[in-house]
Amino acid sequence: MALTQVSSNKCAGGLQKVFKHDSIELKCKMKFAIYLPPKAETDKCPVLYWLSGLTCTEQNFITKAGSQLAAAEHGIIIVAPDTSPRGCDIEGEDESWDFGTGAGFYVDATQDPWKTNYRMYSYVTEELPKLINANFPTYPDRMSISGHSMGGHGALICALKNPGKYKEYDATVLAASYFGPQLDILIDQGRDDQFLSASQLLPDNLIAVCSEKKIPVVFRLQPGYDHSYFFIYSFINDHIKHHAKYLNATPHCTATQTSVQSDRPLGPDAQLQ
Amino acid sequence: MKLGKCWTLSLICFQGEITSTRNQLQGKVAEMENFAGHLEEIFLTVEENFGRQEQHLEQHYNDVLQTLSQRYDDRETGLQEEKKGKLESLYNQLVACGQALDTSKELIETAQEVYRCQDKRLFLKVTQLAILTCSLVVASITRVDWLCICVIQTAPSAPVINPQLPNSATQTSLHVCWSLFSDDTVEYYELYYRPVLEDTPADESKVKVKETHCTVTELLPNAQYELWVTATNTTGISPASEKALYMTVPSPPVIKQRECSSCPEAALIRWESGNTNPVDSYTVELSETGTVVAVPTCQCLIQLQAGRQYLISVRAVNIGGPSDRSDAITISTTGTFFYLLENTAHPCLSMSEDGFTIFYGDEELPITAMAFEDSTFTRCVAILGDLIPVRGRHYWEVEVDDETEFRVGVAYEDTERDAYLGANGSSWCMRHIRTPSRHKYEFLHNGWSPDLRITVHPVRIGVALDYDRGTLSFFNANLEQHLHTFHCHFHNYVHPCFSLDNPGALTVHNGIQAPDYTFI
Repeated sequence: MALTQVSSNKCAGGLQKVFKHDSIELKCKMKFAIYLPPKAETDKCPVLYWLSGLTCTEQNFITKAGSQLAAAEHGIIIVAPDTSPRGCDIEGEDESWDFGTGAGFYVDATQDPWKTNYRMYSYVTEELPKLINANFPTYPDRMSISGHSMGGHGALICALKNPGKYKEYDATVLAASYFGPQLDILIDQGRDDQFLSASQLLPDNLIAVCSEKKIPVVFRLQPGYDHSYFFIYSFINDHIKHHAKYLNATPHCTATQTSVQSDRPLGPDAQLQ
Repeated sequence: MKLGKCWTLSLICFQGEITSTRNQLQGKVAEMENFAGHLEEIFLTVEENFGRQEQHLEQHYNDVLQTLSQRYDDRETGLQEEKKGKLESLYNQLVACGQALDTSKELIETAQEVYRCQDKRLFLKVTQLAILTCSLVVASITRVDWLCICVIQTAPSAPVINPQLPNSATQTSLHVCWSLFSDDTVEYYELYYRPVLEDTPADESKVKVKETHCTVTELLPNAQYELWVTATNTTGISPASEKALYMTVPSPPVIKQRECSSCPEAALIRWESGNTNPVDSYTVELSETGTVVAVPTCQCLIQLQAGRQYLISVRAVNIGGPSDRSDAITISTTGTFFYLLENTAHPCLSMSEDGFTIFYGDEELPITAMAFEDSTFTRCVAILGDLIPVRGRHYWEVEVDDETEFRVGVAYEDTERDAYLGANGSSWCMRHIRTPSRHKYEFLHNGWSPDLRITVHPVRIGVALDYDRGTLSFFNANLEQHLHTFHCHFHNYVHPCFSLDNPGALTVHNGIQAPDYTFI
């Protein structure tokens, strides 16, 4: 698969690049952003996939979230794909802001006219990682996933779905029937988030299910914070550190820890809303 | 012709110049001669004066010498006369002695004759006289005899007692040495000693020895003794030597096991003096490296290397030298290790025998039965761990069960004992509250906590303290899950703190190496 570099800027000692390619899953040209930390010049690095929210492209996260310093410090590559296929000329795709263009929801559509192009789940979990591993100095078995808003949900479902075969696409429902290796989920939620107060977000449901299923989650309600990139910026360091703990960990010698490390393909983490 | 005239003219002029110059020079020469003459006169005068001075000094010198020799002669004469006089009187005494001897000899012969004559009365008279005369003779002989003896032998002069040699004393004995700086004969020495006590003077003891040294035993440790020695010969006893002060070595200290703590880079060792009276200092020894550290007080923070085991012992030191080694304590520099401070525990808390599990019993203790002290917690059923007095990173774990409501964290030494952990600015803690339906968690400092949900209840909590970064983090140690981090600037060292908010128990595990994920 041929990659074309769209831009490259030196940032925090490393390089923030944007590439373009022809996607097989989405059947259109797709852009993604990739941050290469200084360590990538000489060594392989683990990869964190960041899924953005509604209406975003690959640009928002890399210009507004301030993640590059932490990524450089911990030696982690961050890949931020676009949020949906573009330019596919599907009727109705630009009608609403929360469905269609910029609103792929990181699921594979099952109905027409969407099902040909809207396959963001497969793109994010299959095609993109293969592309990244083939073209950049990565550790293919060390990846984790994170996101904001729609992307946060996307991250959760990607993690919860991957150990097995599930048809559901609601993170809370997925969590209820999750059966797989140990996860470690960090969730930040702005208390002044307008979507929370409008009850569009229901974190309590997820927490209740995870408590029951003993899925380890630390959920933090941050007073005064809203839904914006200012909120993302404020806590992105904590999240990158959370991922670094697993991505950079050296193998342990005790039985319990070895099984967790070697089986875990993704350490999920989400910034809801 | 003009040329000739000019030439002659210039010659004449020249001649005139020459003449005048010559006159000038002559004048100068005369002046110089004059000057030289003056100098000569001055020189002669000075020479004369010097000659006169010399003469005077010589005269004075001769006078002084004469006076001195005169005086010397006078004194000599006087002494000679004195000597003569003394010798004469001695001679006269001897003569008198000899005469008296002759007289008494005659009298004894007379007495013998008279005795043979059998006139007892007469005999008695004569014998009485003889006895008197004899006693006089004997007295004069004895006196002469005594004078002679005094010349031949005197009592010894006072010995000189040596100051205490280093490392010559033990806990119960002192090795004392002395010397005699004369050729006196000595039969034996007697060493006296007594302990120096504050109020009452103690009884003295003595030891008789023939050598010039002695080891005194059965003494008290860490005690000061006053010692002096006399020398004795047939003539008599010497005056006592000067008194010397010796000190026995102290008893070894006793390391207080439960008051020692350690971390990867250092250990804090505390001990009891082991002596009733104060000692000068202590030395702390590491048996492996042979390192010795001297300290003035009964505690020492000693630098060590991480991941090793050390045997540490202490000696007490005074002027007499160092004591024997105390019993050693084993210190392991893996992780941070501390005991819980019993004297800070709320009265309702009891401790297991090994000191690492605390229990809050079900029974209600009446207030009157509770004994509070200055350092105990009075409301929060809490206890502090020993101070962590070393910068850097420290890690320990706390084991709890599903139901126990607890608070676990750190606090400054002066944290309010009548307050709850986390309710003030001098303590930070993780708090677990159990409701019938779920678990609740708070991370408290100054009474404030962030709003958090944790879905899996941690039963083994990892606590990671980093003084340099100013962070205190909590983990679910079994899942390696990070729960929360306080960012605080510690202006003092802190104590770990633990409390039970409902009846239950918790166990502290320390001396564990911090897992990698705890200090990213």
